[in-house]
Amino acid sequence: MRVDLGIRARITAPVRPGGSPASVVAALSARKAIRSGVLWGYIFGIAIASSQISYTRIYKTPTQRDALAATYGTNKAMSALFGPAPQLQTVGGFTVFKISMTLMILGAVWGLLTSTRLLRGEEDSGRWDLLLTGQATRRGATAQAIAGLGAGVVVLWVVTAIITVLSGLTSSVKIPASSSLYFALAMVATSVIFLAIGAVTSQLAATRRQAASFGAAFLGVSYALRLVADAGVGLHGLTWASPLGWVEELQPLTSSQPLALLPIVAFTAVLVAVAVHLAGARDVGESIVHDRAHSVAHLGLLSGPTGLAIRLMRATVIGWWVAIAVSALLYGVIAKSAGATISGSLEEMFSKLGATGTGADAVLGLCFLIEAFLIAFVAAGQVTSARAEESGGRVDHFLTRPLSRPSWLGGRLLVALAVLVLSGVGAGIFAWLGAATQHTGLSFTTLLEAGVNLVPPAIVVLGIGVLAFGIRPRWTSIIVYGVLGWSLLLVIVGGIGAINHWVLDTSVFHHMASAPAVHPNWEANGIMTAVGLATALVGGLAFRRRDLQGE
Amino acid sequence: MPNAAIRTEGLTKRYGEVVALDHLDLEVAQGEVVGYLGPNGAGKTTTIRLLLGLSQPTEGRGAIFGLDCHRQPVETHRRVAFVAGEANLWPSLTGAETLALLGRVHGHFDEVYRDELIDQFDLDPTKKVRAYSKGNHQKVILIAALMVRPDLLVLDEPTSGLDPLMEQAFRHCIGEARERGQTVFLSSHIMSEVEALCDRVGILRDGRLIEMGTLAEMRHLSALSVEATLDGPVPDLSAVPGVSAVEADGKVLRCQVRGSIDPLLKALAATGVTELLSREPSLEELFLAQYGADGHAG
Repeated sequence: MRVDLGIRARITAPVRPGGSPASVVAALSARKAIRSGVLWGYIFGIAIASSQISYTRIYKTPTQRDALAATYGTNKAMSALFGPAPQLQTVGGFTVFKISMTLMILGAVWGLLTSTRLLRGEEDSGRWDLLLTGQATRRGATAQAIAGLGAGVVVLWVVTAIITVLSGLTSSVKIPASSSLYFALAMVATSVIFLAIGAVTSQLAATRRQAASFGAAFLGVSYALRLVADAGVGLHGLTWASPLGWVEELQPLTSSQPLALLPIVAFTAVLVAVAVHLAGARDVGESIVHDRAHSVAHLGLLSGPTGLAIRLMRATVIGWWVAIAVSALLYGVIAKSAGATISGSLEEMFSKLGATGTGADAVLGLCFLIEAFLIAFVAAGQVTSARAEESGGRVDHFLTRPLSRPSWLGGRLLVALAVLVLSGVGAGIFAWLGAATQHTGLSFTTLLEAGVNLVPPAIVVLGIGVLAFGIRPRWTSIIVYGVLGWSLLLVIVGGIGAINHWVLDTSVFHHMASAPAVHPNWEANGIMTAVGLATALVGGLAFRRRDLQGE
Repeated sequence: MPNAAIRTEGLTKRYGEVVALDHLDLEVAQGEVVGYLGPNGAGKTTTIRLLLGLSQPTEGRGAIFGLDCHRQPVETHRRVAFVAGEANLWPSLTGAETLALLGRVHGHFDEVYRDELIDQFDLDPTKKVRAYSKGNHQKVILIAALMVRPDLLVLDEPTSGLDPLMEQAFRHCIGEARERGQTVFLSSHIMSEVEALCDRVGILRDGRLIEMGTLAEMRHLSALSVEATLDGPVPDLSAVPGVSAVEADGKVLRCQVRGSIDPLLKALAATGVTELLSREPSLEELFLAQYGADGHAG
């Protein structure tokens, strides 16, 4: 690296023999994308394998399988939530029903976050300036970065596919390798699409956060369109208007329809071309959507770090609240019709999948697990944003002024706790609103309690996150999202019923009663809250004594 | 000095095997402007982060106005303002919002002086930080530090990214601070800046303070550059005390003299001297003499 110091610094990207500066961009983005692809491929693969194995263990006889198909195969509320379930008598059909919607959404979120992080995020940090001062053009570098992301998604597919094929080869599952490969392809298809969406929004938006929000809005619309299409209200054609719908139309493991790959490939290609074109049509650091460079000062919240934290996180938290409120409302609306068919032997099977009770409350008990995950995700975000303030050097401005570390961290934690409690209360209220429209018969208090019941696991995640932040700050993000991923995995895998309870106990969601199907366990909730707060306190004490650390 | 602005005793920071700062004993009197020099990795920023309580010392202690940096950071920071070499601000805030936030966190600041500083540094405070250049980022944190009129200004490469005009404005502000009796601790790469502003200079090498004194003291200890044009050929000077680095080019002699110049003048008197130039070393030369001309320690 050659650096001419002076008023203008000129830096040339390092060039390895045989490589161009642009391929350096590709290598850098590929390295990060592949690392993440391996991790998520593993999670995808385990989730798929566990669904297949749990099906073969729970639904052993043809009678049981027929009963399952009769219940869910025709339940439009369930198909609106999880997608159509045409062949529940087969392992393949069940796998698609049980896991594909979750993986499609996770995959889309992965694609979007990875792409905006490695494109807009790198640009925000100023690292692109270094790379683009050499021979690499903006378009060339963007194309190369997208190629690097492509390598990441290929690895995601390979890892998912290996585990899926291995699971398919077991004697009880018996799914041909070619079908498993195709299924794995379908499961990463949303990642491909949303990598490309992220590439475009990274050109449009002025910041990484804004780029991710644009992409999230697109994902929300895609999900809503697909939901309406699958809700059995005569609008099935809408499925072709949603990228999630196209992926659904691939119909892996049931009646494969590879033609649906066409719109996916074409749409992705167009998005990539648009992203590369837009990259050349703007200056580095600028955005296509006009970003106001000037603004009137709004000093209301800027009295200290806590006010600043509220101001900076406002938009993101409101986004989460909208997601939580809308999904809770939706679950409330469908709970009655989805629960109407649960009875007899299915009740037992349903309970093995994690829900207890019958009818609407059982369905909501399951749906609230998803809400619990969302709220725990919000908790993780609160910790990683505190860490980002430290690694970005911004916390130095506070801690070199008359402000103690406990005040800084404590203020942020209070905001985080308030956000979590309001999230839980919101989930309960909106689920009640949705349920009330269908005269489900669940009381306001029951659902409010069920909402508050979602908060303690999130407090545990928050506490573990703060502990990591205090002791191993550079590992904060990996630890907190690792705990979250692991806990989710155990919830999914838990249905097998063969996992040691000591292992299950390590899931933060395992200790949460599945309210409103059963009463919240306030004792367990109290213990979880105490554990979460105590871990946070230990983390806070460790933070008080350690060095501040950059990236 | 009962209440030195800065005092460290055996202040040490180790990262595993690496010694970033090795038993630093430093004392800065109130009202002094002290320069702190050293190449990258010499331990300048480590010293400052220890003084500000951002890092914890492995051994030893540091005090600011008699307050322990490690145990009483909040009390210490009421009297200190810090400017880092990298501004790292919040991109979505405007300059004015950033200044208001940082001023409020400090507790009190002079709004009139802030506005004067905004004028002096030619900063547009309505702009978002995201839209600022690096130099403008640096202006924001300089103004934020100066506007609270702290008793001690701790500056770590404060002018990186500033253009020469703004560098002048910075020097003017430090001059004013000195006149008001504020203490300034300035870590810098820019020798001319340190030479122009500082009463005393410390030089750091591999985590150790190898020189500390006024520029006059340092010059006294170091060699004088002499260039002389003689009437005849250059005589043998190998036996003359204090003379080194002798270069003879016909009748022109260049050499370094340490200590008194008298023995050299006597040795040259026999040949006859038509012109004699002697020059004190610049701070840069003093610095390079400590490091070797290639500055390898960086």
